[in-house]
Amino acid sequence: MSAEPTAGKPVTLAITSGGIEFRNPVLTASGTFGYAREFEGLNDLRAIGGLVTKGISPRPRFGNKTPRICETAAGMLNSIGLENVGVEGFEKEKLPYLRSCGARVLVNFFGTTFDEYVDCGERLARLDGVDGLEMNVSCPNIKAGGIEFGTDPRVLGELVRACRAVVRKPLWIKLTPNTSDIVALARACAENGADGLSIINTITGMAIDVRSRKPKIATTYGGLSGPAIKPIALRMVHQVHRAGVPLPISGIGGIQSGQDAVEFFLAGASTVQVGTQNFVDPAASERVVAEIEELCRRDGISDFRELIGALKSL
Amino acid sequence: MRYFEAPIVENRSLGGGYFVLRLSGCESLAGSRPGQFVMVRGDWGRDPLLPRAFSLLSAGSGGQAEILAKTVGPGTALLEKSSPGALLSVLGPLGTSFPAPSPETTDLLVAGGVGLPPLFMQAEHAARQKLAAHSEVLYGGRGAPDLVLLEQMKAFGVPLHLATEDGSVGVHGRVTLPLERRIEELGASQPGRKVRIMSCGPNAMLWAVGRIARKHGIECHLSLEEQMACGIGVCLGCAIPARSRPFRYVCKDGPVFLASDVLDVGAEPEAPGPSLCPS
Repeated sequence: MSAEPTAGKPVTLAITSGGIEFRNPVLTASGTFGYAREFEGLNDLRAIGGLVTKGISPRPRFGNKTPRICETAAGMLNSIGLENVGVEGFEKEKLPYLRSCGARVLVNFFGTTFDEYVDCGERLARLDGVDGLEMNVSCPNIKAGGIEFGTDPRVLGELVRACRAVVRKPLWIKLTPNTSDIVALARACAENGADGLSIINTITGMAIDVRSRKPKIATTYGGLSGPAIKPIALRMVHQVHRAGVPLPISGIGGIQSGQDAVEFFLAGASTVQVGTQNFVDPAASERVVAEIEELCRRDGISDFRELIGALKSL
Repeated sequence: MRYFEAPIVENRSLGGGYFVLRLSGCESLAGSRPGQFVMVRGDWGRDPLLPRAFSLLSAGSGGQAEILAKTVGPGTALLEKSSPGALLSVLGPLGTSFPAPSPETTDLLVAGGVGLPPLFMQAEHAARQKLAAHSEVLYGGRGAPDLVLLEQMKAFGVPLHLATEDGSVGVHGRVTLPLERRIEELGASQPGRKVRIMSCGPNAMLWAVGRIARKHGIECHLSLEEQMACGIGVCLGCAIPARSRPFRYVCKDGPVFLASDVLDVGAEPEAPGPSLCPS
């Protein structure tokens, strides 16, 4: 493609997706950007489209025993245990700063029972400065023998419906990839009133220390993230998009660069979330925005939205 | 705290897998205190993925800083092979530091192997403040190759007590042997005798040092190490069990902690209640 027609011209990066107006399609993934203040001075927070907070539960949680993380091939495993300050702590200690950042704020939330999910979602959605919620459904359902809420389309649908009834702001669902049918899960969300999907959460994995013959993290299994999972994430985004599920997708999984982000747009995502790369390069999120703009300019694309779902067949 | 690129000026091998990287362009690290650390990563693609944490060995004027490393895995192996001119991304200075040298105290600086840097820097600060007579370095390792930078430390004018497990240099045994001896000689347990211990090294050594300090009622500061992905309190990977709270974080609350604050020294840490979610 020729670069001449739009060389030097501004590229439109703004998008309204999942009920939220973003200045650009780059968000920070939950659990990898804290509550944003930690990155003050490392990123121009105003240059980022949206900030997705650490997952919030109704009450504070202290997290799992240690060790909690280990590096793996082109990725890492974590089992932090969803440590967070709770709804009250979030409102008092974290939200005022987030509100001042000038980026959209999505609060990731979860519970360990249906009632906790509903309670948490309702209280968070009422807070000023919260633009939307992202529901983490990768938690074990204690009452159902510890099976993740988000792996059974029927249970997931009921959970989305229950939260939808009380959440008066945009409600996104972050799907677990630990499933054989991501499309069925996505449909359950769409049919029960969700506004958007975040695809994917971490993939369950394991690492072993040969010398000690022990697992490398205390909970034995943890969530795999980083560039290692990008092909799986792309495939799942593409499957949901191709199936015609009528919800916008926020693509997540191993995004390190503007080129990675564009791959997700082509597969059908309308926004992306930078996750583990924030640990590798704490200025990554701002850089990815600039690289998307540069790639669009190079290819003569005046509005990045032209890329969404624009994958060609071989 | 700043995030910047710094070229390697010199990569000096010390033998035994130990090496010192000297970096330029580190003006923002000037004023770093002993115990503070940096997250470092080379331009080496996607694997290994995460930056590595290193305590600063020095951060002087002229924009130069040094780290001491030992090759133990793929990240340090790449650093060992890196050439002058190569760029490293550096995030720092991060974390807490040891208390400043003081004319009111005698400080026992206890180092194990590659845990030397913060104590080396502490000794250098003491020398610069004409307080070398108030600090002593106690340095242990498996064998002679594990005791590095001895000439530089001698130049600080700080007394040096060495110990090796194979007996090749200094006292035959662990560094806790000269530590106990010096505590006794200094009468450190006696009221009015102000002695402090500062230590960095393998966890088992730190626990042993912490136990000794507790036995004698001596103020003790430990620089801890834990797996961390970010260095800035975000990933929450570097949690350690603490007394005051279920967990403290090596990167933000540490790496230097009061021994009495963080470790139930000698005991296996207990799990803090049920963990319900996998990630």
